[in-house]
Amino acid sequence: MPEAQAICQEPEVDFTVLDRIIFDDYGGNREAMIMMMQAIQRQYRFLPEPALQYISQAIGIPLTKIYEVATFYASFSLVPKGRHIMHVCTGTACHLKGSGGLVQHVAARMGLDGGGTTPDLKFTLETVNCLGACAVSPVVVLDDRYYPKANVGQLNRLIEQIDTE
Amino acid sequence: MKVILDGKEVDAEAGRTILEVARANGVDIPTLCHVPALEPAAMCRLCTVELVEGRRSRLVTACNFPLRGEVEIKTDTPRLRKGRKVLIELLHTRCPDSVVLKELAERYGADLARFPDDNKDCVVCGLCVRVCERIGANVLALSGRGVEIRVNTSFGRTARHCIGCGACAQICPVEKIRIRDEEAERVVIVCGREAARIPLRPCSSCGKPFGPVIDLSLVMERAGEAQVPAFNLLVCPACSRRSHARRLAERHFEQYDIEPAPGGGAE
Repeated sequence: MPEAQAICQEPEVDFTVLDRIIFDDYGGNREAMIMMMQAIQRQYRFLPEPALQYISQAIGIPLTKIYEVATFYASFSLVPKGRHIMHVCTGTACHLKGSGGLVQHVAARMGLDGGGTTPDLKFTLETVNCLGACAVSPVVVLDDRYYPKANVGQLNRLIEQIDTE
Repeated sequence: MKVILDGKEVDAEAGRTILEVARANGVDIPTLCHVPALEPAAMCRLCTVELVEGRRSRLVTACNFPLRGEVEIKTDTPRLRKGRKVLIELLHTRCPDSVVLKELAERYGADLARFPDDNKDCVVCGLCVRVCERIGANVLALSGRGVEIRVNTSFGRTARHCIGCGACAQICPVEKIRIRDEEAERVVIVCGREAARIPLRPCSSCGKPFGPVIDLSLVMERAGEAQVPAFNLLVCPACSRRSHARRLAERHFEQYDIEPAPGGGAE
């Protein structure tokens, strides 16, 4: 799969894009560091190391401090994530409604070990602790779209759509 | 401003922390993560004291609680002793051979066999990280959160920009950070892992490596002596002393034979 090989490689970081985020959008203001990181995460679906080094230089915050923030928040990732991200809620209500089974099913179907990203960077499976929608549990979120009362059949259809891309 | 400290009325300046006032009045509050020169971080929680407000009291960390009004503070109550005992028992599991924790355990009657050991060579007090930011070169970081928090380097890699100052090893309350000079490199070991590795500078006179190769201008700027070289950067202290002694001797005692006696240990 030569194509998959190409996708697997870390994206080339475009420093003009970083400049636009750091200086145009946030005025090079060090207080906006987290917002800059979020913008970079949106751009690349993770935080590439060269980008973090560039922010560090640009706004004068040591790389170690940026690394601390990047590892503190679960919404930041230092490893590439898939083009489609599925969150399965494993909060108390969703757990009781069988979200554990949904995680197992999706993981098995995508060849993932309980969660993570497929090698072709197409799909990422993550568990979250609560999405605040316990009344419609179990809740699954795929690419920011909520699927209440999710079931295996529905998830299979969603995954098939992704597979046919 | 007056505060009541363990039943005694003492003077306190507004804005001082409870810990500062207590220590100034000879009251010993145990701490692991506090060094007066660094900003308090309230990581170890051992300095927790009771702040009495009316009929209720609440627990606050003494090291970072600034006094604002006339309050009553209790530093050694059964409630606090019990809390500290459990804290010490838990910290001990992470560092079973720490002398400091054993002493604290003795003082608070902690049962060190209560929880199984989980040796991490670190109590996550964060002192090394704070001192590295202040004195060192921002090599160490606290990565992760909650149970996963640990002292780390950027991306978990061996750092090359460390200045080998040794402040982290010196400040570690459980004395678990080690600095070792190997051949021509200085290695910093944190939590049993290699955190930094820096080349050592060989002495231009005797050839032995004697200090880390670092950007000294940065260090001297931080020390407030941007222009003054602290020492001869090319010669090791031993050779420097020797040549200085030789020059002194030549200047003042030329009538004496300053050549070392044959076979005499001039080194």
